[in-house]
Amino acid sequence: MRPRQSLLDLFSTFLQFESDSAKGWLVDARLRRHMQAHLDQAPMPEPSETFWALYWHKQWQTETATLATGHLAAYLQEVCYWSARKLALNLTTGQSLADFFQIAIAKLDRVLKGFNPQHSAGLRSYASLAFSNIIKDSLRLRQEVDICTDWALLHKLSHKRFVESLRTYGLNADTIAAYTAIWEAFKLLYAPTDGKIRKLSKPDAAAFAAIAQVYNRDRITTVGASATAATPALTEQWLTTCGKAARSFLYPLLVSADASASGQESGELLDDFEFTFQESSLGVVIAEEDAKQRDEQRSQLNAVLLRSLVKLDVQSQRLLQLYYGQGLTQQDIAKQLETKQYTVSRRLTSLRQGLLDGLGDWSQTTLHNPLDSNVLNAMSAILEDWLKVHYSHPDLPSSAEASL
Amino acid sequence: MISSMSPMASDIPYLQLEIPTASAERFWQPPSAFSANGIRWLASLNQMCLDTLLPWIRDTHAPNAQAWINPAAMPSIWEVVNGSAIALGQQRLIIIPTAASDFEELRVPQEWVDLPSWAGHYYVPVYVNPDDGEIWVLGYVTHHTLKQQGTYDPRDRTYSIASEDLLCDFNVLWTARRLCPNEGLQAAIAPLPSLPLERAKALIERLGDSTLVVPRLAVPFEVWGALVEHGGWRQQLYQHRLKLPEPGSVRQWLQTEMSGFAQQLGWGTMNLQAALARGSSYGSANGLVRHLTIAGNLYEFRVFQQSEAVWRFELQSAAIGGLVPGGFKLRLLTEDLMPFENNEDSATSAIAQLYLEVCLSPGDALIWEIEPLPDFYDREILRF
Repeated sequence: MRPRQSLLDLFSTFLQFESDSAKGWLVDARLRRHMQAHLDQAPMPEPSETFWALYWHKQWQTETATLATGHLAAYLQEVCYWSARKLALNLTTGQSLADFFQIAIAKLDRVLKGFNPQHSAGLRSYASLAFSNIIKDSLRLRQEVDICTDWALLHKLSHKRFVESLRTYGLNADTIAAYTAIWEAFKLLYAPTDGKIRKLSKPDAAAFAAIAQVYNRDRITTVGASATAATPALTEQWLTTCGKAARSFLYPLLVSADASASGQESGELLDDFEFTFQESSLGVVIAEEDAKQRDEQRSQLNAVLLRSLVKLDVQSQRLLQLYYGQGLTQQDIAKQLETKQYTVSRRLTSLRQGLLDGLGDWSQTTLHNPLDSNVLNAMSAILEDWLKVHYSHPDLPSSAEASL
Repeated sequence: MISSMSPMASDIPYLQLEIPTASAERFWQPPSAFSANGIRWLASLNQMCLDTLLPWIRDTHAPNAQAWINPAAMPSIWEVVNGSAIALGQQRLIIIPTAASDFEELRVPQEWVDLPSWAGHYYVPVYVNPDDGEIWVLGYVTHHTLKQQGTYDPRDRTYSIASEDLLCDFNVLWTARRLCPNEGLQAAIAPLPSLPLERAKALIERLGDSTLVVPRLAVPFEVWGALVEHGGWRQQLYQHRLKLPEPGSVRQWLQTEMSGFAQQLGWGTMNLQAALARGSSYGSANGLVRHLTIAGNLYEFRVFQQSEAVWRFELQSAAIGGLVPGGFKLRLLTEDLMPFENNEDSATSAIAQLYLEVCLSPGDALIWEIEPLPDFYDREILRF
C-alpha cells in the first residue's frame, strides 16, 4: 500500500483490496470534485490535513452534508487498514485483514459519533483506537456465536439485532412481526433450567406446542388480523429460521471493501453538493479559529493529566503501562500479575475513575465549564484517547512501515 | 477452556465483575418461584446482577446503596417485569440485565420509566454471562435522556436506546454525582389515575391466570401500572399466578402462625409489656413489630389490638429514649389508597411516638405509609 500524499487524495480515495491485500487507491470522482472545490476556496497558507479532518467532522455533525461522511471515510482508510492489519497479524482467528477492515469501516458512523474534537489528539488517533475496539468487539461476539447453540443464540441476541437479522435475511415486515412474536414466546417459555445457557438444547415437541399456544393466543393483537396460526411444527420451523438468520447475520458474507466507498448515488446528492459548497468558505474560517482554542486547551489538559499520573504509585503506573502502552488485554495482565481478571478490571476502573475525577475537577474550577453527564462522558473518551497516546504511539504507521 | 478462547473479551474497558458462586442457586431448586422457565431465567439474571453489582457499588462509591425493596418482594416484580432497582439515597439506579451479547441497545420496560414510584434516575444495562460467571456493566443513561432520545415501542411497551447513545463509561455516573449533583436527571413523570378496589380485584383474578404469560401487555398501561405500583396488589397478583396460599390475616399471624412472606418482610411478634402498661388488656398480649430504617435511623413499627374492635399502630424510635423527629408522618389508607377520618398522625416537633387507633372488623384491610419513606418501603396490605 502506497501512502497517499496530496490532500485531494486523502479525502477522496479508497483502498482497493484484492485477495486480502491492499492493492491500490480508487478515486471517487464525486468526492474528488467536491474536495477540489473546497481546496480552491481555502485561505492561504493551505490548511493542514488535520484541519480538513476537523472541518469535515464538523460538517458531518450538521447532518445536511452527506458528502462529509464520504470524505471522512476516505481520510480514515489508512488508520482503519493499520488497525485491521495489526489485529490480523496478532490474532489467529481465521479471518483476514480485509474482513477486519470491512468490519471496522462499516461502523464509521459510530467512530464519528464518538469522536470529540474538543481536547482530542485528533481524529486519526481516536479512530485508530475506536477501529480496533470495533474489530475486537466483533471478534468477541463471533466467538460467543461459535460456542452457542442456535437455541442459546436466540437468547443472546438483542431485539434490535434480531429484527435486523431477519430483515437482512430478506423477510418481509409481516413475517418479521410474526417471527418476533414467536421469538418472544420462545424466550418466555424455553430457557435454561440450571443457570448456564450456551449449550441450550433444542426444545422438545411439548415445548414447541406450548410456544405455539402462547403465540396463537395473542397473535391477532400482536401481529395482525392476517397472522397465520402456528402449529408446533411451524413453530420449530420459524424458530430454526430465526436461529439461522441470526447466525448468518453475525457472520455476514463480506463484500469487497472498496464497495463501501461513499457509494450514495442519488440525485439529491447534487443539491447537497451545491449547498455545502456555498456554506464552505465561511465555515473554513470559523473552523480555523476553533483549532487554536483547541490547541490551547489540549496543552492544559496534558498538564493536568500528567500531574495526576505522577501521583500514582508504581503498581498503578505499571498497570496503565501494560494496558495502554503494551495493549495487553485485561486477561493477559491478570496472567502476568498472577491475579484474577476481575481484579484487573476493578483496578483499571478505579484508576480511570481517579483520573476522570481529576479532569472533572479541573474543568469545573479552571475552565468554569458547566458539567453534566454528557460533558463528563466526552471527557472520559478523551481520557481514554489520551492514555492510549501517552503510553504508546497510536497504531499509525511509522515512516518505514508505511510502504509495503 | 471457553474463556481462554476469548482473548479479546476484556479489551474494551467495561467494568467486569465476577458473579459470586452461590448467586441465584436457589432459583434452580424446585418449586420454581416463577410461572415460566424464561421468566425464572430472567429473574436469575436480575438476582446475579444484584448480588454482584450491589457489593461493588457499596465498596467503591456508595456505602449506603441497597436494593430498592425487600428481596422477598422481588419475585413479585420479576414475575411480570424485567429489571431491578438499587437505592442510592434519594436516587435510584435501574438495572436492566440482558443475556444479549451484542450490546446493541438498552431496552427498558415502561414500568421502570413511567411509574412515579418505580422510575429511576439512572438506567444501567448489564450483560450477564452466567456460563463464565461474570457480568459486564455497559454504561448508563439518565431517565431524562431515555425519555427524550429513547424510542418507545408500543408493541412490547419498552423504551429502547442504541448503545451509541449511552454514556459508555460507568465511572462517569459517580463523577457526575459528585461534580454536578443538580443535573436534571429525571424528566417529568405523570401520576397514574387511581384504581378502585373492585377493579383491582377483578384484574388480579384475570391477570393472575398464569397461562396469560405476559400480563403486563393485556390491559392498558395506566391500569396495569396502578395495579403493580401497589406493592400489596402486586404481591396478590404474584400469589395468584404462582397459586401460593393467601398470607392470612394479622389476627391469624398473632394467634397461630405468621406467613412466611410476612416474616421475610421483617414482621415479628413481640410481647407488648409497654402496651399492657398503657392499659391494654385485650386478648393476647402479643403484637406485631417490624424494624424500619428511616433516614439512617432505626425505628419500630408496631401493630396490636386494643380491644375487640380497636387496633393501635405505633411508630417509635428503636433506641432507648429515642424520639421520632419532627416532620415524620404515620398514615393509614384503605386498600385502594383512600384516606379516611383520623388516618394520619404527624410530628410537628420531635415526639416519643406517632400512633393511630382504628376500628376494624374482621376482613378489613389497610395500607400503612410513613414519611419519610423507610428503606425497602413497598406498599403492603395488612388484613385483619
